[in-house]
Amino acid sequence: MTRADVIAVVLAVVMLPFLYVSFWGNEGVADTIRVHSVEGIITLPLTAHRRLHVQGPLGASVLEVSEGRVRFVASPCRGQQCVHSGWLSRAGDVAACLPNGVTVAVTGRQPRYDAINF
Amino acid sequence: MTLTLQTTRDDHRIAALAALAIVIHMAESALPMPLPGVKPGLANVVTVLVLVHYGWGAAAWVALLRVFVGSLLIGTFLSPTFVLSLTGALASLLVLRLALLVPGRGFGPLGYSVLAALAHMVGQFCAAYVLFIPHPALWHLFPVLMSAALVFGIVGGIIALAAQKQLHQE
Repeated sequence: MTRADVIAVVLAVVMLPFLYVSFWGNEGVADTIRVHSVEGIITLPLTAHRRLHVQGPLGASVLEVSEGRVRFVASPCRGQQCVHSGWLSRAGDVAACLPNGVTVAVTGRQPRYDAINF
Repeated sequence: MTLTLQTTRDDHRIAALAALAIVIHMAESALPMPLPGVKPGLANVVTVLVLVHYGWGAAAWVALLRVFVGSLLIGTFLSPTFVLSLTGALASLLVLRLALLVPGRGFGPLGYSVLAALAHMVGQFCAAYVLFIPHPALWHLFPVLMSAALVFGIVGGIIALAAQKQLHQE
């Protein structure tokens, strides 16, 4: 084993924690939610506990913010997919009630995605 | 008319070493692995030993022959697996070429093995991201795959060191 070998292995071992920190850490810090509806965009902190009634073409969608999470409690749509999305807690999570034109997104200081399509 | 190809001793040696690497490559492809993209890469040991004994040119021949012939035999030629394998091999050859420039005693089998394993992973990961799965979430796998590459690089390096010791005794 030469000195260069030792340096290479040590550098590689030291590099790994940095990789974990830079690719895993610090991006999931969710602190706000952004609600889009026909009324416009509102931004709220994720910390306070509250219920929101967001008006859409079909009626009011009810959102609940609690313990750093947000969910659709009820929505006047047929599919109820927004309600079934359940709690959102990580930055980048999105739930939408398309019939009622309401979406809620959890955002962090550095959003992970501008958009996602499937 | 018969056409005779002039082959040199070097050609025969490269062919034999490449055959060895291909056998290891194929045996490994039969192993089940928990994560896509992770593989012990023991054929890397052959590349490293060839590099130490016969130089970079021979190592490049052996590595590339392994990728091409191995994929033809397994049936993955020109498939995504092959493309990842090829970009990985090219990346590790590039890094090994640079590693040879290190002055002094330079690297031994352990260092070459670790560098080649890491470079292989970076190369194949970038190819996977650019060509096949251009989704930012893929990068979450990167630290895990690099950890695996480092572990297997060290294991491969230890094997190469042991093999080299045997070669010197004979």
